[in-house]
Amino acid sequence: MIFTGLHKTYNGRRVLDVDSLELQKGRIYAVVGANGSGKSTLARLCAGVIKADGGYVKSDVHIGYLPQKSYAFRMSTRRNLRINGSDREREEHLLRELKINGLASARANKLSGGETARMALARLLMREYELLILDEPGSAMDIEATLLSEKLITDYRDRTGCAVLIVTHSLAQAQRMSDEVIFLSGGVIAEQGSPEAIIGSPQNEKTREFIEFYSK
Amino acid sequence: MKKYISLILVLIMAFSLCACTSNAPEETATPEVTEAPASVDLEILVEQDDSMINTYSLLAVNDKASFVDADGNAVNDVELNTAGADALINWLLSDEGKRLAADYGYAEYGEFLFYMLENAPASEGVIPNATEETKTVRLSTTTSVNDSGLLGYLLPIFQKEYGYEVEVFSAGTGKAIANAKMGNADVILVHAKAQEEAFVEEGFARVIEGMDAERLSYMYNFFVLCGPAADPAGVKSAEDVLAAFKLIADGGYTFVSRGDGSGTHTKELALWPAELGITAEQESFADYTEWYVSSNAGMGVCLTMANEQGAYILSDKATFLTFCANDGVLPEA
Amino acid sequence: MSTALQKAVEFIFSGSALLKDIIGVTLRMSLASSLAALLIGVPLGIILGSGSFPGKRILIVLNRTLMGLPPVVCGLLCYLMFCGVGPLRHLKLLYTVKGMVIAQIILITPIVVGMMEPFISSVYPSMRETARGLGISRRRTLGLVINESRYQIISTYLMALSRALAEVGAVSMVGGAIAYKTNVMTTAIMNFTNMGNFTTALALGIILLAISLAVNIVVSLMQGGADR
Repeated sequence: MIFTGLHKTYNGRRVLDVDSLELQKGRIYAVVGANGSGKSTLARLCAGVIKADGGYVKSDVHIGYLPQKSYAFRMSTRRNLRINGSDREREEHLLRELKINGLASARANKLSGGETARMALARLLMREYELLILDEPGSAMDIEATLLSEKLITDYRDRTGCAVLIVTHSLAQAQRMSDEVIFLSGGVIAEQGSPEAIIGSPQNEKTREFIEFYSK
Repeated sequence: MKKYISLILVLIMAFSLCACTSNAPEETATPEVTEAPASVDLEILVEQDDSMINTYSLLAVNDKASFVDADGNAVNDVELNTAGADALINWLLSDEGKRLAADYGYAEYGEFLFYMLENAPASEGVIPNATEETKTVRLSTTTSVNDSGLLGYLLPIFQKEYGYEVEVFSAGTGKAIANAKMGNADVILVHAKAQEEAFVEEGFARVIEGMDAERLSYMYNFFVLCGPAADPAGVKSAEDVLAAFKLIADGGYTFVSRGDGSGTHTKELALWPAELGITAEQESFADYTEWYVSSNAGMGVCLTMANEQGAYILSDKATFLTFCANDGVLPEA
Repeated sequence: MSTALQKAVEFIFSGSALLKDIIGVTLRMSLASSLAALLIGVPLGIILGSGSFPGKRILIVLNRTLMGLPPVVCGLLCYLMFCGVGPLRHLKLLYTVKGMVIAQIILITPIVVGMMEPFISSVYPSMRETARGLGISRRRTLGLVINESRYQIISTYLMALSRALAEVGAVSMVGGAIAYKTNVMTTAIMNFTNMGNFTTALALGIILLAISLAVNIVVSLMQGGADR
């Protein structure tokens, strides 16, 4: 699957300038970069929730997208999941795996940040997509929840053979999960390759700076 | 849940507090310290004077009148219920209608509130029963006939007998007439001769069958000059009402004016010494604001105001008597 | 001696035909106008709060202006439209409950829009992104938005209702306070006051306040329910 025309300008400032992005089924891509490097914009353009400079980025792929801050509807956690599918077995499985089965009948809009993030991930995974775009799924979660969610995402990929594009701050998470790392800097793809290659021996100046700073 | 219960309790407490404080003035004003000024201090000081006759006239609104809208453009097709208007006027001027009006109030107040003019037009016209089209009759009238309870006494009898529904719009005479000029009334019952004559002059009234004039003056009562029982201006001993008004003006004693273009207001304007130049225009009494209170309110409000300020006031007798009787239900003073 | 509160209680239990009629007309007018204002205002509020189209800001400013429309001005305009020489005279709306309802709708709808629009604007962007991300259709998203706004709609409705109950300037001009036809609680209070009958006026005021209190208790319980 190929996305083209990923250009976005806000108030005259070009925040993303990527001509094309190619993703392959069955692979997990981690988008890494400093704040303001255009990671979220890339995710949102591909997901089609915002317009690129040249209009919506068209794609005939069935995409599931998890925003950085997901909305919790004013109903129980369980009913939030059912918005996106009615498979009871899957629902129980997801609630259990993310350890939120105890909150199944709690009102979702009263959950904590981390609980909301878990609920939102479970809700997304109720359905099958050809491409999952996840914008910092672990940012509000504690380490246990992060690991649980990573396992769940990997399992989902293994089961459905979908592609996964995951935006993350965490190099560790990129290393743990991804088959390929896309390093963004100033709105352009500075480097792309296997995690070992990028994190082990970055070629690009910006990438190196970021990784050195991160590993301190 | 406790939170809500306490919330409700707080609201109920606030509510009952409101209700109590609104009662408080009446209750706390009553203790034996002084004779509270609340209710009985006003009394009739000057009455039964020829220039105090208050004549009420009926006028049928002319459906062919040259009505104009708010911008002054002519409007030709104002819909009026002329048949209903005729029926109501014929009934009010029938023997039955007049007898009922003349008797009204005696049982309650021990005094007649309205008198029939000797030369009042008499109607012997047949009153048809209401039909679907003629059923609703809109009567624009002054507060004095409505608030004194006269219409509340008369109209149900008429309605029951003939099946009409009379909608009463009550305001000061000025507004009642203006309302009719806007095409919102079939009949008017008012008490301000000059304004009525102007209304006829402008072609807004019509002559109903069997009558020989547009303006059907048929009953009267008296305006009364009221004021504090102590009568500081000494109007009681005045030669006539014009002299009484002069005393008030010369002494600068507080006087409450309706100031609303009503019949009572119109009458009052005619009673001031001409050299004062008091008219309905606000500029005309700018120099007298020390004692001349132009309130632009109904009779009841003005009477209350006069009562509280120990002021003089002109009222129609019917409303004044009703007002006093009404005060009787307030806590004892 | 009977105080206004006693009088109010006596009045309620006396089964007075006058009081029954006044309360009946009041409720008929308030329920009809608040419901109509809700049916018009909620969709408008949702459109204004969720849409992005040219002129949206102007519409919001216009609506805020209308929220501040003095009731007497609204009453005067309606009076001039409906009166015997007005352009809409053939509809025969002057001194009718229908005419009062129309005046009330003009007054209340902007308030409904003004309460819905900020709420929708505050939740819609995030809700839309989430729904789009899940691949939910536009129509279903709209359904979710309405479901999500239910508490706001209820409290907006009750707000509209209490405004309708309390309004006096417009209804007295359009309704004319005709006994047994268009006389509502507020205009009756004015009439009794003008007649110097303060006790009855106060008694009616207490009854109106009690109705208002009941409405507000329902609102706070609803809001309590929403926060649970």
